[in-house]
Amino acid sequence: MSKNDCKLCGLILLLLLTSLGSFAQQIVTGMVRGANDSLPVVAATVTVKGTNIATVSDIKGNFTITVPSGKHLLVVSSVGFTDVEVDPSSGNLNVLLSESTTSLNDVVVVGYGTQKKSVVTGAISSVKAKDLENVPSSGRIEQALQGRVSGVTIAQNAGQPGSNATIRVRGITTFDDAGNNPLWVIDGIVVDAGGIGYINQSDIESIEVLKDATSAAIYGTRAASGVILVTTKKGRAGKISFSYNGLYGTSAPAKKLDLLNATEYATLMNERSVAGGGDIVYSDPASLGNGTDWQAQIFNDDARRSDNEFSISGGGDKSTFYLSFGLLNQQGIVSTDISQYDRKNIRLNSTHKINKFFTFGETVGYAHAKSIGLGNTNSEYGGPLSSAINLDPITPLIETDSAVLKQAPYLNNAVILAPNGYPYGISTIVGQEMSNPKAYEQTRLGNYNWSDDFVGNAYLEIKPTQNITIRSSIGGKLAYWGSQGFTPVYYLSPTINVTQNNLSRNSNKVFYWNIENTIQYSKIIDDHNFSILLGQGAYVDNIGGSSTVTVFNLPVNNYQDASFNFPSTQANRTDGVSDFTEHKISSLFGRVNYNYKEKYLFTGIIRRDGSTRFGSNNKFGNFPSASVGWVASREDFWPTNKVVNTFKLRGGYGKVGNDGGIPDFSYTPLVVGGYNYTIGNGGTILTGYAPKTLANPDLHWEETTQADVGFDAQVLTNFTLTVDVYNKKTSGILRPVPIPLYVGVSDQPAANIADMENRGLEIELGYHKRIGQVDLGINGNVSFLKNEVTYVNSDADFIDGGAGFQSMGTVTRIQVGQSFNSFYGYKTMGIFQTQADVNAYVNKDGGLIQPNAKPGDFRWADLNGDGTISEDDKTFLGSNIPKETFGLTVTAAYKGFDVMIFGQGAAGNKIFQGLRRLDIANANYQTKALDRWAGPGTSNDFPRLTSSDDNGNFQKMSDFYLESGDYLRLKLLQLGYTFNNNFLSRIGCTKLRLYVTGENLVTLTNYTGYDPEIGGGVFGIDKGYYPQARSFLVGAQIQF
Amino acid sequence: MKKAHSIKLISLAAIVLLFAACSKSFVDIDPQGVFAADTYYKDQQQAFTGLVATYDIMRKNSGGFENMITFMNAGSDDNYAGGGGESDGVGIQSFSNHTVNAETMPGSYWGDHYQGIFRANTLLQKLPNTQMDENLKARFVGEAKALRAIYYFNLVRMFKNIPLILEPVETSDIYNIKQTSSDSIYNQIEKDLTEAIPALPATVPLPTEGGRITKVAAEAMLGKVYIYDNKPQLAVPLLADVNGSTPGQPNAYGNSLLTNFKDLWVFTNKFNSESILEVTHSNQVFLGDWSLWGSSSDESNTVDQMVGPRSYTRLSPDAPDIYPAGWSFNVFTQDFYDAIKNDPRFSATVFDAKALEDAGLITYVYGYQNTGYFLNKFIPMPSDKATVGSAELNFQGDSYVIRLADTYLLEAEALGASGPRAQALLDAVRARVGLPSVPVSMNAIKNERRFELAGEGHRFFDLVRWGDAATKLANRGFTAGKSEILPIPASELKGTLLVQNPGYE
Repeated sequence: MSKNDCKLCGLILLLLLTSLGSFAQQIVTGMVRGANDSLPVVAATVTVKGTNIATVSDIKGNFTITVPSGKHLLVVSSVGFTDVEVDPSSGNLNVLLSESTTSLNDVVVVGYGTQKKSVVTGAISSVKAKDLENVPSSGRIEQALQGRVSGVTIAQNAGQPGSNATIRVRGITTFDDAGNNPLWVIDGIVVDAGGIGYINQSDIESIEVLKDATSAAIYGTRAASGVILVTTKKGRAGKISFSYNGLYGTSAPAKKLDLLNATEYATLMNERSVAGGGDIVYSDPASLGNGTDWQAQIFNDDARRSDNEFSISGGGDKSTFYLSFGLLNQQGIVSTDISQYDRKNIRLNSTHKINKFFTFGETVGYAHAKSIGLGNTNSEYGGPLSSAINLDPITPLIETDSAVLKQAPYLNNAVILAPNGYPYGISTIVGQEMSNPKAYEQTRLGNYNWSDDFVGNAYLEIKPTQNITIRSSIGGKLAYWGSQGFTPVYYLSPTINVTQNNLSRNSNKVFYWNIENTIQYSKIIDDHNFSILLGQGAYVDNIGGSSTVTVFNLPVNNYQDASFNFPSTQANRTDGVSDFTEHKISSLFGRVNYNYKEKYLFTGIIRRDGSTRFGSNNKFGNFPSASVGWVASREDFWPTNKVVNTFKLRGGYGKVGNDGGIPDFSYTPLVVGGYNYTIGNGGTILTGYAPKTLANPDLHWEETTQADVGFDAQVLTNFTLTVDVYNKKTSGILRPVPIPLYVGVSDQPAANIADMENRGLEIELGYHKRIGQVDLGINGNVSFLKNEVTYVNSDADFIDGGAGFQSMGTVTRIQVGQSFNSFYGYKTMGIFQTQADVNAYVNKDGGLIQPNAKPGDFRWADLNGDGTISEDDKTFLGSNIPKETFGLTVTAAYKGFDVMIFGQGAAGNKIFQGLRRLDIANANYQTKALDRWAGPGTSNDFPRLTSSDDNGNFQKMSDFYLESGDYLRLKLLQLGYTFNNNFLSRIGCTKLRLYVTGENLVTLTNYTGYDPEIGGGVFGIDKGYYPQARSFLVGAQIQF
Repeated sequence: MKKAHSIKLISLAAIVLLFAACSKSFVDIDPQGVFAADTYYKDQQQAFTGLVATYDIMRKNSGGFENMITFMNAGSDDNYAGGGGESDGVGIQSFSNHTVNAETMPGSYWGDHYQGIFRANTLLQKLPNTQMDENLKARFVGEAKALRAIYYFNLVRMFKNIPLILEPVETSDIYNIKQTSSDSIYNQIEKDLTEAIPALPATVPLPTEGGRITKVAAEAMLGKVYIYDNKPQLAVPLLADVNGSTPGQPNAYGNSLLTNFKDLWVFTNKFNSESILEVTHSNQVFLGDWSLWGSSSDESNTVDQMVGPRSYTRLSPDAPDIYPAGWSFNVFTQDFYDAIKNDPRFSATVFDAKALEDAGLITYVYGYQNTGYFLNKFIPMPSDKATVGSAELNFQGDSYVIRLADTYLLEAEALGASGPRAQALLDAVRARVGLPSVPVSMNAIKNERRFELAGEGHRFFDLVRWGDAATKLANRGFTAGKSEILPIPASELKGTLLVQNPGYE
């Protein structure tokens, strides 16, 4: 941040502070203590009900507050205690707070407002600030949610610092990967999932996940995949408080693969060659020793990570503010020089009361991020991970043999030199995209991605009467992002080399804005509670464009000196510019909430959305929902006992929509350019235009209907239990549809082509009890999910899946009755141990089913029984979607000490373990290849190695590649100590807590790749996923 | 007070409703950077862009990984698929050992040609209403028809049983289309080319129009089509016009054999006198984006990239300086090497890495099915490597669809491989490389075609046409009565009325 920015911030702060005035009517003092132990409660919030006037208790539990004239109540609240309302008129107050054992009294954020949890009829999971404050920040708030709420599956996209995670609310809702991302609404601003990296974890007041259609319907469009509402902290009236959260630590890989060493490699390569009819390749494998451990070269056992988050908040009875800063720096554990993430951000939230009727406020955030990435993650085409896995262990890291150095390929001037002056080793055994990863790192220095995000909203709230709230808000996001990179002249191998350096810059800008106007009317008539909300919204996104320029042949050859300021000729310059296609949605919505004595509950919602993605006949969609609740425990007949303390039954049914997954303008026929040809002998490229695809004027909204039944209960005083069952059906899934190629269009037309269903069960169980001086809390959740494609609008009942693997082509299939993109291939039935086994595998005519097989080859299942092995013998081999996910948090506090254990996991899914390149014959193997078939009785699951794999043992998609993705991970183990008040008061502090944390300490799994947690739209195919780190961190939380 | 609030409320509600009323236009936006299909092709300039899009598919001959030349070579007895490993391109590998099936058959050989046909059909449907010079319009029609014929010719030779589509397919008809007999396909091809010939220019100015179809190109293609359709008598007059009255001398259009055989493969020799119809490539794409590789906006020659040795490293300045980072596809078989070893065209045809390696002059990484004999006709020189952008995606060498030596030998074949004219045609092809005359015969013509056109993608079609495929490809997994044609890609059978080719069901 520049000096001027600091000045600006200071100025804003000053303005805010000077605006805080107050005039007192009555000064009330009091003391807050715990009901059980009579100990003072520090930092309890005391608020004048219905106003912004608030204060906090000091270290002795004392508070002083000025109460305006008139009749008012004070609300006293503190984390872990039930709120208490007291009448201040008695003057000096003695407030006793009971520890809260239930969350039913909590307030949850719902769309366009808040609701008492006790009267909520939808399936909403909530995570509060106190649940998050001890979780070490990784810079991504979705990581903090992992394992904490039922029905939400979160998987890291990569261990690359700054990577986002994949979040699925109640499974996969649609076919398009982006469409499965939940809608993120941060302080009322709809933001895209990729852009939520600008928030400090400690800025979060609460996160609510709207899981069922009833809760989400108020967001109609794009709410089909769930809605995540993030509310950031606001200032509170009272004294100004400062808080600091910081951590520092070190990360290392949790697991390395067992790869062959040079001797083992040479032995197996000899065997492979001879089996294929070739010669011995290495005459003396033992002489090669262990060779090079490429993984050891790329992994960093001491990657550093630090995060510092500061906030200042406070205010008076007119204005409150919350200002925060964050500084995050994280190094990756793979090739750290080219794997780093750095972020700086600032946020200012404030509210201002103009008079009795008008309140306005705004939230403004800015973040700058810089990330340096490996270039390739989960890609088999090079990059440090892929190279380390596939390179032969024989090639040395650094070549020092003078005889070798006198020969090619080391004669090239552009070979990369190690710090000792000798060239990095160049493999002549494994070629293609694989290269010495240490040399590769050198060629990518100075490549980085950057982003600047400005997100903000402002609102005006009018309360003309006590019952009516009118609110207008305008929000926007302006995002700039791009990349810059210099590629020097280099020579990594005869295949991978660059003879002209280049400097490239890509810049993108996008602007989103929305306006929402709502009016809410609430009324209580006797025991009838009504609330009616009407609203209108307009949403515009994707305004912007992209440009890229690359300049070749710079007069310098290092990234430090490279600059676009060097003159370049047109012949040495390429560029590309594009506009994004604007997308707009217009909405009207309404909601009715009603309850009788908070016992019988009803919510009805309707939303009508129009989208630019559809033609005039189907532009608008209507999305209604209704839900009811019954708080049985409020009935007179409900027995007063200590078994079931409270019980609420609820159920709902509703519909939400989605307009994604298809290109814009799919409804109208278009002629587009880009069908080019070169004419004339100058090589001039002419632009050809042709119809792109067939138009589909009948495209309509994809609809997701969901039925949800659940209950919330408090049992045996200390337990809370929430159970939900649901059935979510998506119909008319939007997707480009494969049509016969003879039609002759280059792009697939879009259509509503399929239906899919998710059925699930979610259980959240909590336990909280103070036993002696130990405060114990346990929160567990488990979710069961079954995903099934129920209809495919095609004359065949399947669609080729979206997931391919190297030369195998597509390895998944979308078929009715199966879960989305299930693995599809051959089933193995052991290995032929002898020729007699081959000869005995005959069809009903006595012919050999696998006439070309040899001992050591897979026996493929002839599933269609036609006596031969063909495509028709392929079958479904499992799904990448976990059937169960679970999380467990245990917290315990004793005096100043606290401990937290957090574990999460998934089960029931398959992972395609595809770490080895199939088409590189000499690529290295994992050590499990040592247990290959090498003679009768040696193996029945790993086939023989041969250079002529006529049986397709390794080339065919089969269950050989699939492994169980079950895992249980000890995600966090934390030990903290909070200093006692006496000590703190001496240093003027209200809170000081220090902690040590271990992350990803233990992962129980049988998976043989790096990490079973695989997110992203990769359908469980592991091609060299950047693994998550194991970290040890120390941290401090300080408040003044 | 109460009243004032009511007014506020009413006015707010009015604003809300107003917004809602406007919302229909709010959510209507016009596409940018594209054209509405119903009004396009209105003038000459737009029609020309439609013609360029129709030419686009010509790149299939040598552009993209799935190009005609390397694929058809791989299925012949002269070449193997090669490449990095046994699964480096499942399609090309499975055609090479004739285990190709509906699943492994790359759909693009079917689909890309139909894209060309769709664009020709669209243009032919639209041109009658285009406001433009009528002579020029006639030429556009001729070119569209000739291109459509060329695409159908590839399809019918590869798949034989294909649908004949002459108009853009309506959405409602997508799944109602049937295959037709190969006779009616050939009839349509011959009709299109016959109609095109009079509308096409005899020659074109090469700097600005080189690569566009001329009269002589359409005649040459039609002559070749007639031979495949077993109508040699109809081929003869067409090919005679192409080849000229005196074999070895320039024809009426200025075409003649190049003096030096190897000059045919110099990438700067675009539109040389021997070239009748060639596919153009450019090094001006600068693509670094592999996702566009082989697509309509990829203008490079991928055959060049594919056929060179892998990690070729010169150990001595005496070793040939070639582009070192090929992918080792289409290595020649030992059988072909033995046959051509003493032919003067050997060195231009075969890059003998084995000999160079044995002499200690080079090293290279062995690819799959390595013999050490690489397809020299397409191996690029370092000078052909693009100065900017990805080298792999920017080779500019053109490839021949048909050249004069081909039409010489085709005419000799059409003449029944006998008579003085056939003898003169054969002699001219041999004389150009310094070979003496041999008596003309079908066998002599077959041998000559094999050596002259080796590695140019013709051999498999020749073997099938001559009925020699079953014997010549017996050791390559060829099944007589089945492997003469390719399986229809699986995607085309899903929900359609198409019937799979015999033996592939």
